Amino acid sequence: MGDENKPSQTPKLDELEKGPWPSFVREIKRAATKSPMARDLLGVLELSYEEKVGHWKHGGIVGVRGYGGGVIGRYSDVPEKFPNVAHFHTLRVNQPAGWFYRTEALRAICDLWERHGSGLTNLHGSTGDIILLGTRTEELESTFADLTKAGFDLGGSGSDVRTPSCCVGPARCEWACYDTLNFTYDITMHFQDELHRPAFPYKFKFKASGCPNDCVAAIARADLSIIGTWRDEIQIDQAALKEYTENGIDIQADVCERCPSQCMSWNGKELRIADEWCVKCMHCINAMPKALRPGQERGAVILIGSKAPIVQGAMLSSVLVPFMKMEPPYTELKELVGKILDLWSEEGKSRERVGEFIQRVGLGNFLEAIGLEPKPEMVAHPRENPYVFYEEYFEEEPEAASETEG
Amino acid sequence: MANPVTIEELSEAMYRMVKEATGVKKLKPTDLTKAMMEHFGPERCSKEACKEALRRLMDSGRCVYTYYGGSFVELPPEEGTEI
Amino acid sequence: MADTVAERKTDIGPPHYEKFLPPVVKANYGKWKYHEIVQPGVLVHVAESGDKLYTVRAGTPRLLSIQTIRELCDLADTYSDGYLRFTSRHNIEFLLTDPDKVGPLIIELTTRGFPVGGTANAISSMVHTQGWIHCHSAATDASGIVKSVMDELIGHFQTMELPAKLRLALACCLNMCGAVHCSDIAILGIHRRPPKVDQEKLSKICEIPTVVASCPTAAIRPKRINGKETVEVIEEQCMFCGNCYTVCPAMPLSNALNDGVSIWVGGKVSNARHAPMFSKLAIPYLPNNPPRWPEVVAAVKNIVEVWAKDARKYERMGEWIERIGWPRFFQKTGIPFTKQHIDDFRHAGLTYQRSVHIKS
Repeated sequence: MGDENKPSQTPKLDELEKGPWPSFVREIKRAATKSPMARDLLGVLELSYEEKVGHWKHGGIVGVRGYGGGVIGRYSDVPEKFPNVAHFHTLRVNQPAGWFYRTEALRAICDLWERHGSGLTNLHGSTGDIILLGTRTEELESTFADLTKAGFDLGGSGSDVRTPSCCVGPARCEWACYDTLNFTYDITMHFQDELHRPAFPYKFKFKASGCPNDCVAAIARADLSIIGTWRDEIQIDQAALKEYTENGIDIQADVCERCPSQCMSWNGKELRIADEWCVKCMHCINAMPKALRPGQERGAVILIGSKAPIVQGAMLSSVLVPFMKMEPPYTELKELVGKILDLWSEEGKSRERVGEFIQRVGLGNFLEAIGLEPKPEMVAHPRENPYVFYEEYFEEEPEAASETEG
Repeated sequence: MANPVTIEELSEAMYRMVKEATGVKKLKPTDLTKAMMEHFGPERCSKEACKEALRRLMDSGRCVYTYYGGSFVELPPEEGTEI
Repeated sequence: MADTVAERKTDIGPPHYEKFLPPVVKANYGKWKYHEIVQPGVLVHVAESGDKLYTVRAGTPRLLSIQTIRELCDLADTYSDGYLRFTSRHNIEFLLTDPDKVGPLIIELTTRGFPVGGTANAISSMVHTQGWIHCHSAATDASGIVKSVMDELIGHFQTMELPAKLRLALACCLNMCGAVHCSDIAILGIHRRPPKVDQEKLSKICEIPTVVASCPTAAIRPKRINGKETVEVIEEQCMFCGNCYTVCPAMPLSNALNDGVSIWVGGKVSNARHAPMFSKLAIPYLPNNPPRWPEVVAAVKNIVEVWAKDARKYERMGEWIERIGWPRFFQKTGIPFTKQHIDDFRHAGLTYQRSVHIKS
């Protein structure tokens, strides 16, 4: 960039090219060798570093025709200084399940982004999408056309089904209790309309984790968290246990004593598990993957309602279905989700996530509305306060006793 | 369904509603659907028909989705509109 | 325009994942038996068939130029038959069947500046948001802090000597696009001043009832000023969440002098041992001090070091704090406990100490 004798235009950002961790400044500079947009991004970012304040404005009015999701509009508030980033819109591109790629596919994305945008990306965004960072309004349609030609589609944004994402699952993990990739692809296709055409009170996220280690943070980040589990016995290879004891694992201290339900015992030769007390936390399996494996009767726990703080505070998902078999075409789950989406679309307030909606109407009423029986697995404990609503009660009959109550 | 309202009629009614609301109230897709169901009655108008009508309206480019902390249906703004 | 519309493809969804799975994965899909961590950043998965799959994991800045993606693709073409994947924490993974290629690939990656690691009891790459690079509501930058923190802690990415996993994350405002609220250590950008109402703009582009309704503490009231319908903010009631700004661009709350960073600790999402937990407030405010945020880096490093020294094997940050108790957490880390640490939002009382079980 420019004359070697000239002082750098970005002294603050240059500091962030130093040090051992890979530098995002180097990435912007690399893109800037070809893209004036990336060059001006560097300029506007340096300005933010000087002034300690951002320089981007809302841009909620751009998209591709017919879609309400997938494009995040952004405009600069200093366009006169940095005209090449006057528009700096982002596209969210639906990633392949599990984030697997062949290099041809990634190269195709690079090529089209070289033609249409800044040449900068995120692999990946927080929701899981491929993020194409920075283009102009007039490039959106042609970028979209090239994307679909390359076999990709936009992801979600706004009040729609957000791009579902999942862990590596059975593609590379022995702990996957259901096929997270297949499930994610299946529901992504099933909800294409809801993903591209926002019609909900607010966003709705699906995340699919194959086991209770929850590598995609489903329990913290998804309105519907589908977390793999099992309900029979942990599979034990007693011979492999010996190998671990010889390699520095103290089974009594590191495994038995760390078990949250204290359901294991070790006599120096044999490990016993009282599976009826096991809470399926994964610790023992994580510690000794060669010796212990999840059981064979596998499925998922379906949880609902997690979210970040906006508006009513952060929430974790809570149990909706303690165990569900997860096999294509996932009819039971799709029917359940259909009922939830209908109810929440109808009665949710603007910007009210489904977790907040449940808090407002009460989990009991919510269950009744979607036709699920209340179960003790759904609560940490029953209520502590006596302020109980009853819709049904006895009434004195004017005449002699009737047989039954309504 | 007796004498169902056509998708074209629904699209047109939605468009008029969005046009009239411009500058007064931002409408969500559900606002449009609820209004149509009420106006035409459940005998003549289904949720599915509303969805299809909205999709056509959007595909035609006469209305667009906007985002202000939630998604709305509006007339297409001019580029560079102050936001 | 008309003819391009006719050809327009929509609703095709993402490419089917099967197209991108390496042959060894396809052959052993759902039939993996166990895995081992050969060295930091290298996993071997063994299938029931006996097939072995080597994974080499490396850190990235998440923000990648197309030039660098092509460079990474070149590596995948050379070493892993053109297959690669990314993790939920922005790491890149190369999937190899030939163990002899593992060493040379590590050398290539390291030489090109991509550190190999992030496995088992290590710090993995930091989940983070856009910050000043792209966001309109950022209270701090994201990439700059992440770079500065990881420059300092990279040793823990490349080794596996911590007591347990350590998950770091950063969100540049409390919208938390990065949903950092269940991390061992979360860095969170915060605003500390109420929105400034742009009266002129507000009456033109925002709906007053929507703006009023957006406030979770009812701090926004409709008001008529100079004959125009607008709103006023009851400043003492504002907790700087920015929800009003999201629904109405005429309520900006960035403030260069007061915006900054808070630090949260002890959250986790995994169910292993302890159930999932939220992160809790450790440090209410640190200044924005670009380009390297030395106060933030020092604070994070201190917490990591105290935990690493004191925690037992397998004890995540939150499990350690639960064992030693919060008074000792503040003692050991030397972090002052202040009024801001005590919750005053909904159900705050549930976070008070309601017993005489006191460790201090």
